[in-house]
This record gives sequence, structure tokens and C-alpha cells, in this order.
Amino acid sequence: MSKPPLLRAEHLSKTYPDGQVNALVNVSLAIAPGDYVAIMGPSGCGKSTLLNLLGALDRPTSGRLFFEDKDLAELDDLDRFRSQKIGFVFQSFYLLPTLTAAENVQLPMFEGPLSARQRARKAKELLAAVGLSHRADHLPIRLSVGERQRVAIARALANDPVLLLADEPTGNLDSRTAADVLDLFDLLHRDRGMTIVLVTHGPEVAARAARLIRMRDGRIIAEGQAGAPSA
Amino acid sequence: MLFITFVLKNLLRRKARSLLTLVGVGVAVAAVVALVGIAQSFRRSFAELYTKRGVDLVVVRAGTRERIGSSLPEQVGDRIRQVPGVAAVSPGLMDVISFEQRQLIGVPIQGWAPDSFLFNDLRFISGRRLQAGDRRGVMLGKVLAANLDKTAGETVEIFGEDFRVVGVFESFSIYENGSAVVLLRDLQELMNREGQVTGFQVILEDRPNKAALIEEVKAKINDLRDERGRPLGLDALPVEDYVSTTSQIQMAQAMAWVTSVIALVIGAIGVLNTMIMSVFERTREIGILRAIGWRRGRVMRMILYESVLLSVAGAAVGIAAAVVLTRVLSASAEGSRFIEGSVDPGVMVRGLVIALFVGLAGGIYPALRGALLLPTEAIRHE
Repeated sequence: MSKPPLLRAEHLSKTYPDGQVNALVNVSLAIAPGDYVAIMGPSGCGKSTLLNLLGALDRPTSGRLFFEDKDLAELDDLDRFRSQKIGFVFQSFYLLPTLTAAENVQLPMFEGPLSARQRARKAKELLAAVGLSHRADHLPIRLSVGERQRVAIARALANDPVLLLADEPTGNLDSRTAADVLDLFDLLHRDRGMTIVLVTHGPEVAARAARLIRMRDGRIIAEGQAGAPSA
Repeated sequence: MLFITFVLKNLLRRKARSLLTLVGVGVAVAAVVALVGIAQSFRRSFAELYTKRGVDLVVVRAGTRERIGSSLPEQVGDRIRQVPGVAAVSPGLMDVISFEQRQLIGVPIQGWAPDSFLFNDLRFISGRRLQAGDRRGVMLGKVLAANLDKTAGETVEIFGEDFRVVGVFESFSIYENGSAVVLLRDLQELMNREGQVTGFQVILEDRPNKAALIEEVKAKINDLRDERGRPLGLDALPVEDYVSTTSQIQMAQAMAWVTSVIALVIGAIGVLNTMIMSVFERTREIGILRAIGWRRGRVMRMILYESVLLSVAGAAVGIAAAVVLTRVLSASAEGSRFIEGSVDPGVMVRGLVIALFVGLAGGIYPALRGALLLPTEAIRHE
């Protein structure tokens, strides 16, 4: 890892005030540009908490997080940072039910500089990139679950983020559809050089990544090559 | 997709709720526009009674706001006539009567001197104007005549006495069209106010600097004294002052505003309730929008646009309803006496401005709540 890290976490801890749960304890890691990282572990191990911190959705209780060598604690507009740099993909897709696929993809673009016409054109391109040109005008309810997740991925790419964060992106998909979605991540990683961090508890999902981080009880317990995980 | 399209789609998601809120705002705005509009037209009609006849000053007993409560000796008219600059003076006695069989209450009746200039602007539909010898004769305004179903030659009962209808007239004033006119002498007798009048209408000479003349004559009239040097207690008011200090006008305007404020508070609470519910239901969605890059300001704008759009649509419905309501009221027997069938555009604009305010007032708290949601917690919200 000779390249300077895109993201560097130093001693991150997160404690929720209710019930004194230590969701994350002293986690340090670095993610290089173009990395494809899987975070694995049982439910409640803190992997989603870590993902939320990496995506600036939440602030750590202690520890520091640097993005492109900038301390996120010193940024007063985390929303703007998130809007420009991060793309989020969720387990339950979270598409807005009243909007068509193309309109859902346009939602993040309201924070960008594009005109309405440019937004529509870009949404079309992104849907084409995830193989859903023909479904652009469909409401989510008319789409299969796999298609919905691909729309959500297109939406995550709307503002050309440098980092794609995915929380159990295949958790609600059957194995074939899951494979399609993972193929799409592979493609984004390989062809666009997209940095991807995904959270999963499925080994077959983790196996697609280049790096694997294992977590338990809020700590990183192992780190290594995804193909040959150290136990 | 335009941002406003997205806002509109949010509103259309809960059609019934949006519609009910819209109707709520609509009723509030309709009440404001109709009431303020009626109060204004009432005031305008009242002012036109004087301005259209070229009346410059109205002289009443100093200190009276209840106009028909003013009482002055009729001879004071001669003193006013002698003030330099005065061209014509018309004494008048005013009261209200009821025609209970017809359920007409508070009908204005006026006593005019037979040589008064007030007769000049009337157009006769049937019969003729009152003349000096027409004792126990009455002229009816056309609206009153229609409500009483009377025409020239028939008789009506006023204060227990029979009066012969000598003519039915049409005036430029909706107020006068709903009133009755008898000779001053008759009304003084009926009301036991011999030698008394309510006030005088004064027309001044035509001079280039009319405003200065009005001020000059006003001061002179107010300063008139009796033979023993005591003030006559007159208050000469330019028409605009006379109208705006009349207690009935002030009351109508105050009532319109108080009712409006109540309607608006209710409207704003309706919008507030709807928007709070809507934000609560969309907690997770707001969390997602934040996660996919929306800033707080945009969440706020989304919610505020929704509430303002709802209110403005409500205002459009309300203004339309007020226009219809005013037409219907002005066509009714009671309303036709003082309500004109048109709503002033200025009042409509006021309704719209008020709706904007209702939208902002009802939307600001939900918008803040929505914007301050923590994305991670909002997404976990069930």
C-alpha cells in the first residue's frame, strides 16, 4: 500500500448514550483509493456503526477520521462532504415509492450544480450503467428486488462519489440476484476504480472483495486478503 | 425532475390529508377575503354617499361617533351657510326602522329638506321625487322597494303611520338603494325631534386649492359660537375622516379583522398538524435523503415548500369561494342592502399573502424538526 490512504481512521470509538453500549472500541484502519474492502462479522458487532462513521453519517465519540488527509472533525458541513464524496447503498434499498427509477436516481443531484435536463440525462446514463435503461420510468413497486438494488446503486453514484459504502447490499436478495448485484460492484471497482467498502455477514459476498476486515464486539479482530481469510 | 415536482409528489401521496388541509386553509382565507372585502365595500359605499355628490364636509355634533346619535338644531344650517367658501348646505335626519312582516331590520330612513341637493343624483324607476307639499310621502330605494314588494302609489307603514310611496329611485349608492327617504319635517315629527337634525352635508365653492379651503372652512365651522359667545359644539369633518371615525364602520372592520385572525390561527394550526404528521411518517425517508447527500437546508426547504404550496392552493380555493360567497350574499335580501357583489383585487392579494404566512408559520417547526433529525437514527426509525 504505497498510495496515501483515501480514508484513515485512528482509534475510533462510538458509545451510544442509551444503555452505555460500546458499539465501537478503538478501531483504526486505512483505506486506499481503489480499495475493495468487506467488513464482516455477526449482528451487533459494530460493522454498521463503523460504516456510518466512515460515511460521515455520524460522528465518533472519540478518535479521529481523516478523508484525503483532512480531519472530518474540522469540517463544519459534513452534509456537503457526504453529498460530494460518498455514495450509500442500503440493505432495504430505500427507494422513494412515489418516484420512478430515474427520479430516484436524481434525488442526490439536487445538491449538485446540474440543471433539471442535465439531471435527467445523467440519471439515464447511470441507469444504463447498471443495466436498467428499459426500467427508467417504472415505480419501485414495478421492479424486482434485484432491480431495485441496482437503482439504489445508480442513485449512490449520482454525484460521482469517490467512496461507495454498502450496508448488507445483498441481505434482501436471493443468491442469483445477489450475484448480479455483486457483479455490478466488481464492475464499478474494476472499470471505474471505485473505492468500495461493504458490510456483510455472508462469506460469499466478502469473497468478492480484495480485503477483508473481521469484527466482533466493536473491535477489529482480523484483517487480511479476502480470498484467504485469517481465522 | 424539478425540485418542485418532487415536493408536489410528496403532497399527492396523501391525497385525502392534503385535500383536507387545503380545504381548511381555503375556509380560513375565504373568511378573511369575504369579511374584509365586505367591510371594505361597506366603507366604500358609505364614503361614496358623500364623495359622489361632491360633499366636502360633514358637520355633526362634536364628540359623537354613533352617527345617528348626533343631534343639532336645524337653524345651525343658516350659520354654516354664511361661512365664506360654503356653496350649499343640506340638513339631514337619519334613523333606522324595521319592517317586521318582511323581516327587514335596521333599514336606514332619511329625512331630507325638499330643496336639498341630495335629490339631484337619484334616477326614478317609478313615480317622482318628494316635493315640498308631500307630507306623509316616502321614496323607496329600489332594493328596499323590491324587498317590500312596493311600487309608486302604494302605501307602507312607518312608525305606525301610513306613508304613500311617491317614487322608487335608484341611487349610485348601494346603501341608499336599501333605504327610505321622507321629508325632514315628517321624520322630525315621527321621531319627536322637531327642529333637530343629525347633521349637515356641506359643499364648498370650487376653488383651485380645495384642500386648503376645506381646512379653512372646517376651522371656521368648528369655531362657530352662539349669541352669548358659547361654542356651538360643531365638528366639521372631511368625508374621509367622517367615514373612518364612524363607529359602525370601525366595528365592521374590527370584526372582520378579529374573525380573520381567528381563522388564520386555525388555518396555521391545521397546516402545522398536517406537516408534523407528515414529517413524523417520513422520518426514515428524511434520514435516507440526508444519507444520500441532502443537506439540512434542503430538507427544510422541502417541508416548507410543501406547507406553502398547500396553503397557496388553499388560498386559491378560498379566494374563489369568497368571490362566490360575496356574490350570493349580495344577492340576498339582507345582504343586497350593503354588500357589493365584487371582491376588490387588493383583498384577494391580501388573502394570498396571509396564506403564505400561514404556510410558513405552519411549516417552520416541522421543517426544523425534519432538518434536525440525525440521519442514522432516522433511518432506524420504524
